[in-house]
Amino acid sequence: MAERKTERLMNLIFALLVSRQYLTKEQIRQSIADYRDSTQQAFERKFERDKEELRELGIAVEMGSNDKYFEDEVGYRIRRDEAELPDLALTREEAAVLGLAAQVWEHSGLAGESTTALVKLKAAGIEVDPDVLRMAEPKLSADEPSFDVMWEAATKRIPVAFVYQRPGQPAARRRVQPWGIISWHDRWYLGGFDLDREAPRIFRLSRVQGEVETTGEPGSYEIPEGTDMTKVAAALFPAKPDSLAVLHVRAGRGQSLRRLANASTPVDDEHDEIEVPYGSAWDLAAEVASYGADVVVVSPPEVREQVVVRLRAALGESG
Amino acid sequence: MSRSRQQVVRMLALVPYLRGHDGIPVNEVAEEFGVPPKQIRDDLRLLMYTGVGEYAGELIDFDLGALDEDGVVYIRDADFMPRPLRITSNEGVALIVALRTLRASASGAQLPIIDSALAKLESAVGEGVDLPVDVLVEPADPVIHTTLVHALAEGKRVEIIYGTASRDDRTTRQVDPRRLFTENGHLYLEAWCLRAEDLRFFRLDRIEAAELTGDDAADHEAEPRDLATSFFTVGGDTPYAVLDLDPRAHWLTEYYQVQEVEPRGDVLRVKLFGGDWSWLRRLVLRNAGTVHVVEPASLASDVADDARAALSAYDGTDPSKE
Repeated sequence: MAERKTERLMNLIFALLVSRQYLTKEQIRQSIADYRDSTQQAFERKFERDKEELRELGIAVEMGSNDKYFEDEVGYRIRRDEAELPDLALTREEAAVLGLAAQVWEHSGLAGESTTALVKLKAAGIEVDPDVLRMAEPKLSADEPSFDVMWEAATKRIPVAFVYQRPGQPAARRRVQPWGIISWHDRWYLGGFDLDREAPRIFRLSRVQGEVETTGEPGSYEIPEGTDMTKVAAALFPAKPDSLAVLHVRAGRGQSLRRLANASTPVDDEHDEIEVPYGSAWDLAAEVASYGADVVVVSPPEVREQVVVRLRAALGESG
Repeated sequence: MSRSRQQVVRMLALVPYLRGHDGIPVNEVAEEFGVPPKQIRDDLRLLMYTGVGEYAGELIDFDLGALDEDGVVYIRDADFMPRPLRITSNEGVALIVALRTLRASASGAQLPIIDSALAKLESAVGEGVDLPVDVLVEPADPVIHTTLVHALAEGKRVEIIYGTASRDDRTTRQVDPRRLFTENGHLYLEAWCLRAEDLRFFRLDRIEAAELTGDDAADHEAEPRDLATSFFTVGGDTPYAVLDLDPRAHWLTEYYQVQEVEPRGDVLRVKLFGGDWSWLRRLVLRNAGTVHVVEPASLASDVADDARAALSAYDGTDPSKE
């Protein structure tokens, strides 16, 4: 946008905002220099583009007629009561929270959006002093090339198609109706209805290859009522503990397992017996095996066996 | 959003902001709007060509003497725009998700403040409740979390019991908290460690206990540490192993630092970096059967020694029947 266009756009916004009546196209043309100096055709083109620009800025331009009996003379205005930021009645602490929130995004586009939102609050006279509160300062980044398209698709319900490759498997084209987008361990996932598998699926954005294709209009499908994204994404999280293992752990060792233990009793000077709740025997066996001789499974046999299988495989490593 | 569109949005906010802050220095405005002072000066220059008409008194004006000589801003003839425009849907969505992120890593008395700020923002934007974006952070023990937040806010010293993952040990230390933050979806405490006499990072889910000592935290001269260099990064002397990954272990390439990925049929041969050798040893043991050591030979024999020692505990005797 050249400076001249920026100037024109600002004047258009101001003119439509202060007018209590609908301004006709001709009135608008006469009041703004750049329109006035253009040919009729150039003016029409600029005006259409500027209206579109206002829409993208989130400014609603209302069309209507001042005279009920001559409706063919259409005019334009911006309704002040709808365009202006209402009073949010924020407390000092709430304003501080919004100030901290504006520092969360490391994605340049969304950082920009949250900064302009904060700037509007400041312009409404709200004092923002993040130092009022001491709390965790999380950061949210989004480096995945497909993030922008997927974000748009998930927030606006736009169906997508993309090439997806899980490690160790061939790439395949997937067609999905996005239900939502999730950040977990600093990675983004898209959850939705997989049209080919006819079931909900979760996709890691870093595994999306190449361009994402949008295959429909915004809002062209419904998200089933009661959809819980954390359930759709359940495979990402550790299984809920439903069993109990008994382990012998060398004194001062096996920290990650000791943290999970709900009971610990010394067996001799050098070992403790701990009880660890677990959901997946596979995952528990992996963790136990990683400690070598420092952690030994007493029960159940299922976990014991899986540890032994791993250790025998590791023994083969010496060749 | 394009730069020029950003400028329009900023100028539309500048007008009511400057009306409410008569005589504010340009530098302060720049800081509040998160742009360089030169940008604000450019904005002001352009604003002088805008207004509700083209005659004197209809165009926005500034006290140019004050602006040039003292670097302060007095806006004139801008009464037609007393309030900023609404927060747009895109802006609202970005800020709402940021608030949800704050919420995921907050604790105790902070939660109701975040919730009420969220509710007010959502009602102003008309967006939010159904917004399909979730940010999840590894949960930390709420008691420990609340103790640390309290210590941070009140400037108190804390004694923590901390387990390190790579060395597999457990220490008790006194720390003076400086801040809480997230990295890779985990909550961390940055604190002055009295034992190390230096700043340290502690992952919250590895803190087993935290109690106020009753002392106030002291002031320590310390440069804030740069996260990028403090967290694990691969350098010239970072230990690494050459590993063959079976298909079931290919996922490791997404979670750890790997280089020179070379497919050999079903198997991927990779160079995988670790913080230290014991960490690499544990990684191979954890995935034994699907991960095979190619180099170095010392790692392969260490892993085998560990496995042999561990297996002897399972040989013949069942410890539960001893």
